[in-house]
Amino acid sequence: MDLARLWVRIVSVLVPGDRKGEWIEEWDGELASRGGSMRYAWGSLGDAWYLRTEGWTMDGMIRDVRLAVKGLIRRPFFTALAGVTLAIGIGANTAIFSVVDAVLLNALPYPESERLLSMNHTAPGMGVPLVPHSEGTYLFYSEGFHTLESFSVFTDDAVNLVTDGEPHRLRAARVTQPFFDVMATQPMLGRGFAEGEDRPGAEPVAILGYGLWQQSFGRDASVVGATVEMDGVQWRVVGVMPAGFQFPQETDLWTPLEIDDVDPELGSFGLLGVGRLAEGSSVAAAQAEMTNLLHQFAEANPEELPQSVLDQAGLVADVKPLKNLYVQDVVQALWVLMGTVGFVLLIACANVANLFLVRAEARQREQAVRTALGASRADMVRLYLAESLALALGGGLLGLVLASVGVQGLLRLAPVAVPRAAEIGIDGSVLVFTAIASVASGLLFGLFPVLGYGRRDLSGALKEGGRASTVGREKHRTRSALVVAQVGLALVLMIGSGLMARSFAALSAVDPGFESEDRLVFRVSLPSAEYPDVESATLFYRAVEERMAAIPGVTSVALTNAAPLVDTKSAGPMEPEDRPLPEGQLAPLVDRRQVGPGYFATLGIPMIEGRELTLEDSGEGTRTAVISRTLAELHWPGESPLGRRIRSQGSPDSGWEIVGVADDVHFETLIDEPAPLIYLPLVAGSAEEPGAARSLDVVLHVGSDPRGFVPAARAALREVDPRLPMVEPRPVTSLVHDAMASTSFTVVLLGIAAGIALLLGTVGIYGVISYVVSRRTSEIGVRMALGAPARLVLRDVVGQGMTLTGVGVAVGLLGAWGVSRALGSLLYGVSATDPLTYVATAAGLSLVALLASWLPARRAARVDPVEALRTE
Amino acid sequence: MSPVRMTQITALVLRAVAAGYRYGFDVMEACGLPSGTAYPALRRLERAGLLKSRWESAAQAHAEGRPRRRTYEMTPAGRSALAEAEQKLAEVRQRLEDLPPAPTGEA
Repeated sequence: MDLARLWVRIVSVLVPGDRKGEWIEEWDGELASRGGSMRYAWGSLGDAWYLRTEGWTMDGMIRDVRLAVKGLIRRPFFTALAGVTLAIGIGANTAIFSVVDAVLLNALPYPESERLLSMNHTAPGMGVPLVPHSEGTYLFYSEGFHTLESFSVFTDDAVNLVTDGEPHRLRAARVTQPFFDVMATQPMLGRGFAEGEDRPGAEPVAILGYGLWQQSFGRDASVVGATVEMDGVQWRVVGVMPAGFQFPQETDLWTPLEIDDVDPELGSFGLLGVGRLAEGSSVAAAQAEMTNLLHQFAEANPEELPQSVLDQAGLVADVKPLKNLYVQDVVQALWVLMGTVGFVLLIACANVANLFLVRAEARQREQAVRTALGASRADMVRLYLAESLALALGGGLLGLVLASVGVQGLLRLAPVAVPRAAEIGIDGSVLVFTAIASVASGLLFGLFPVLGYGRRDLSGALKEGGRASTVGREKHRTRSALVVAQVGLALVLMIGSGLMARSFAALSAVDPGFESEDRLVFRVSLPSAEYPDVESATLFYRAVEERMAAIPGVTSVALTNAAPLVDTKSAGPMEPEDRPLPEGQLAPLVDRRQVGPGYFATLGIPMIEGRELTLEDSGEGTRTAVISRTLAELHWPGESPLGRRIRSQGSPDSGWEIVGVADDVHFETLIDEPAPLIYLPLVAGSAEEPGAARSLDVVLHVGSDPRGFVPAARAALREVDPRLPMVEPRPVTSLVHDAMASTSFTVVLLGIAAGIALLLGTVGIYGVISYVVSRRTSEIGVRMALGAPARLVLRDVVGQGMTLTGVGVAVGLLGAWGVSRALGSLLYGVSATDPLTYVATAAGLSLVALLASWLPARRAARVDPVEALRTE
Repeated sequence: MSPVRMTQITALVLRAVAAGYRYGFDVMEACGLPSGTAYPALRRLERAGLLKSRWESAAQAHAEGRPRRRTYEMTPAGRSALAEAEQKLAEVRQRLEDLPPAPTGEA
């Protein structure tokens, strides 16, 4: 067959069946007259499309919709059941999508944000995923980047602002001069930072965030140019940022990050790097360039960054989209949830498809009559699709309502760490998503009855008066397949939710290593302008300890620079003085915390040997420390480290005498193994360089109800210094809860999804078995009249349900085995293929399915043979 | 039998059939239309009862060693519809010619 004739036959699928034969013959004849040239054949598509669509008039469509809606309204129970099922499915998808849209797809609402890069390092050799910049690398790299349009570093900061006699703590960011160019966002009032304003000796300047400007300065434009006192320093306000700009994180205020370009600090890596990719450049090129620059930097500074350290730490440049830095914590959980609600929608569609199939059967006579009156097959298909789509769009609309309510609840449940939570809501792209989801599901479940319709012998239906005995095997098979799919999908979701629940249980069972009940913690920071030296800071510590301890009901008080599970990291390589590591070998990283007297007692951390740090240890120049059990076992396995000394690697004068060993505490997360840790006094440092902790967590051990102590503690702090705000007072238990928040969030949502899936799946099984029983009533009647015992009938019907369930469970187990690894790092203390969870869940689901098929089976077994035969 | 909107294309196709082109492809070429346009026009005209089609005799086609072809011819309704369309066209042309010249000095 030549190409032209082949084409005509392909296109002929569009031509309505009753005209197809003649149509092909006509085109064959014409093409033959032109030598069968393909040039003439193309137009057959236009002709075929015309014939397919000639009946599609606007009138016809309106009539279809009207008929469809009428049909739906005539069966309110069916419509409500199917509509609500769909609304749940589509609503769940809409709710989760609105979160995904705001958090993942639109995480950085800045111009051309896809060009924003996180420009940092990583050191897998030390187990440190993120190594930012030092002043030295910043200055060195700034000169060298050609793949970047601009490059800046920043660090989080906090300042205290007193307005109307009330101290407030503001979230600040210290940024280098190119920062606003990198973000491609300039102040709406005033200007950005000028060259040189990030160098030592420049006048203190600040740029206000929109929210701060609105709340604390009454949107007064004249604030630009005025000075504002914060932390005892006069800051000149040079600009106000537009609404919505809060980078890096809900930031109220930006100040210049002072970089000493004459004598930059080389070895302290605490400055996060961001860059804007130059036009036409790529992430890979930026990565290659930074790798190069790192090596040049190491060659130029062999003292601070020896090649051997570089090699052992595995320090390499790490360039990636900036978005990844901010959403990586929630990204996996969100995609898992998106997949989960996708499953729920599929199950909902399967359920509605089943309802439609049942209904299609009931409507056989209606169809036969319509056909006899001249409706073509295409007319009926259109009517069916119109019904499905009308139902799906109705369900989508209801789903949208459910979602907008649900999202609010979702956010209340959500861990604090959901970025841009305020931006989450129903917007344009969410509406588009919902519309697509609705139409797609309408087509999906509308397809089944349409396919069934195509095969049905209608004249038979008419002749037999719609009696059921001719219902094809085919239909049963479709319906059974749908039930199997439902059971399978439901099982996958239940297993996923079971695994998450077990993770949650395992996490709850983790002993954090400290007591959290009946303890209150709050944060306070000491500005260096107001507390310039160790003496004033020490006086402040003593005063806080005394005033807090004097509050009735407070058992003990302790100060630290960071309470457990509060996100602060300060680590460096340390080695024992009596057995220093060979030159060029990197010592293990040791995490440092500073603690005041009574810290271990107040938090209930057991001392293994030695003593706590006391008031005497907090003096200037004293160098005594407590270490954690892990650190003790690392350097002095089987020995007592008391009296020995440990020092920062490479600095002989920095040794600390060990006076105690405390039990391990989970400081970072509940999941990680406790890291080696050293507790230094609040005033830590040598006599030459005294340093005092300025950022403090104050922990109170109280009789009961920690929240009740907030007012008294605030009053006590005010007595010590009215300018310092009490920040985030909360029970220590909430630190532990926050550490489990993302797991519990996922557990709850997956649990809800699995519950819905189970419910829909059960309804599916029940519906199908009930239907089968009702169709087989007469057959059962005959069997029982012939002496079959009710027991046998019961077993037969239940067996049918359980066969479907069994196949579904097998499919589900396989499916779960395949997809549960997507949960990956969300799981804790349980494997993705945990047999117990799989078996228990499958058994639970089977039990529910047993009940769902037993109920209709019992009805079958009670059939009165006489009655059953009479209805025949 | 449904009414058809007389467009340039339907009028052209109708005129071609009236002029004696009987086969679809001949009509198409006479009108200079692509087949994807000419055929739907033929279908519309036939549906409206302005044309009718029939198969030519299989014997004759067979004798000529080719498949039979479908032929189109005018119906009385088609003839009067074409006359009406040509009448309208003539009127339009007349009015175009009668258009008074634009006043000078403006535009």
